[in-house]
Amino acid sequence: MLTDLRVSFFLALRSIIRGSRGSLYLTILIIAMVFTNMIFMPSIILGFIKVAEDQIITYQTGNILISPHEDEPFIEDAFSLQEKINRIPGVLRASVHYGTGVTLRHKGYSIGSTVVAIKPDDERLVTDVYRKIKDGYYLADGENDEIIIGIQTSGHKDESLDMGPTLGYLQAGDPVTVEYTNGVSKVYHVKGIIETGSYYADQGSYITWDELESVYGKKMDIATDIIIKTYPDAFEPDVKTQIYRFGVRENVQTWQDILEEAMGRAVQNFAMLNSITIVVSLIIAVVVLFIVIMIKTLNSRRQIGVLKALGVEKNIIIHNYVFQVLILTTIGIIVGTVLVESSVAILTVYPFRFPDGDVTPVVATSDLINNTIMLYIASFIAGYIPAWRVASEDILTAMRS
Amino acid sequence: MIVAENLARTYDMGKVIVHALRGISLTIQKGEFVGIMGASGSGKSTLLHLLGLLDKPTGGQIMLGGIDVKTLSDRKRTRFRLKRLGYVFQDYALVPELTVEENVYLTSMIRGTSKEEYQAQTLAILNRIGLADRLAHKHNELSGGQQQRVAIARAMVNKPEILFADEPCANLDSESSRNVLDLFRQINREMAQTIVMVSHEDWHMEYFDRVIILRDGLIISDGKPPEEFYQKGCNYS
Repeated sequence: MLTDLRVSFFLALRSIIRGSRGSLYLTILIIAMVFTNMIFMPSIILGFIKVAEDQIITYQTGNILISPHEDEPFIEDAFSLQEKINRIPGVLRASVHYGTGVTLRHKGYSIGSTVVAIKPDDERLVTDVYRKIKDGYYLADGENDEIIIGIQTSGHKDESLDMGPTLGYLQAGDPVTVEYTNGVSKVYHVKGIIETGSYYADQGSYITWDELESVYGKKMDIATDIIIKTYPDAFEPDVKTQIYRFGVRENVQTWQDILEEAMGRAVQNFAMLNSITIVVSLIIAVVVLFIVIMIKTLNSRRQIGVLKALGVEKNIIIHNYVFQVLILTTIGIIVGTVLVESSVAILTVYPFRFPDGDVTPVVATSDLINNTIMLYIASFIAGYIPAWRVASEDILTAMRS
Repeated sequence: MIVAENLARTYDMGKVIVHALRGISLTIQKGEFVGIMGASGSGKSTLLHLLGLLDKPTGGQIMLGGIDVKTLSDRKRTRFRLKRLGYVFQDYALVPELTVEENVYLTSMIRGTSKEEYQAQTLAILNRIGLADRLAHKHNELSGGQQQRVAIARAMVNKPEILFADEPCANLDSESSRNVLDLFRQINREMAQTIVMVSHEDWHMEYFDRVIILRDGLIISDGKPPEEFYQKGCNYS
């Protein structure tokens, strides 16, 4: 058996090395393109999901989000809960948020928005919004009459970059009027403009907790949400369990839960698109390899007959062609991987621009392995069937062809 | 030794049934150089294919080396051909992607012979046929006569019990044909190699120990050439 396989491999290698160069290069190119196609689409989808993950963790909810129980509008005793959470192993910091609907006005522009009150020192440890000040400065604890505004609310100098209604290119240092739902209307000094690349974060406006208390005229110990940053080595579901053990009855979600909730349907649709792409690619690979091997075997019918006459077993002949296909597939996969990695490198420098940020392809090792296995199986079938058909002919029929 | 008894081969072509062989009996002794001759359609190639296990008879029996080949499975027939028979075809039938050396040792590889051994055997046989300096050449770098000599080396490298040759000179000029036939006779004489060869060229008879002449699927003459052939006055062509 081993000797037979050795002979098959020997014949396959010689056939590839000394056969038609043009056919060889074209076949490898087609397999490489098929493999690239199989990997590229999922890598874009994965890149898109990765951006969504990064944006959620970095600019929106941290690793874990606590929101009010469905029967209640707010989280009560927010700061004592924050202290408890900060003591949980794996938690780096919790930041308390109070978000409220407002109307923002500037030079005749008026838009509805949400202002979020934060404690800037806590917030710096949980989100990276403070790193994304395009113009001006971030907030500091205890500041009053200052606001920072996301660029999708302030507006770009180039209006074509705006994705919705804005305040018409508001800049740091400009005044902006904020009208609260409790009837308070106040003019703020714009301390900074945020540009994170996340559409959600870039729509928001932030004031300090002290400013919120001055607007409501009382101490505020309620929150609309608490966001939590965990240490890099912490496992979020474990931290979530710990939080529940503290007797918290609020809704606790890891970023994975949020992503599933927000993008679950989209991810399912992407997965379906991905499956269609892979199936079509595999069909193309099978058809191309089938044709290549069919032509090869039909052109070699007489030779196959002669080999059988000389005592070469049918299996050696079939395995010869199967090895040829597997070798071509291996080279095609290597070339395809180089193409994919080159594309990834180029798209890392020149990423796709989406509303939620720049998307670069992310090639998952599991996708590489799964698609490689699928392509090998498809190639095996595409090589085996035509080789088996011709090798099964009786000797004299093959020799007379 | 080859023993064939009442050998028949019929082809069912739908509405027509062709009787290619109509009951042939013959015995070929070890070391004989036998020529099978006859006009086109006389059944000479069919006889060679049956004796060489490339086809199965519809009637009769073949014993090769004391084995009734009818009892062999397809797989065993293949192994039998590989280990005990050698073939030379009209159009050389060298594997185009292989060099001269690789073509010759291919069947030795399949037999499981060690690399050192089959390389030595290949070199020895190519030396014997005068092509040792063409080891790395491909078939399209050789003349027709040289290709046929490589095909003979391929057939001989495993020292087969019987060498079958199906019109090996049909595509060669007379000088190359004579070289090939000289080589066959040399192999036959020096190695006591049994050779069964199909030919339709009258002048090839001088090389054979024995000539079997077929007409319409039957043996019409079997004996030493050329006297017996001419005494009987047979003109098959």
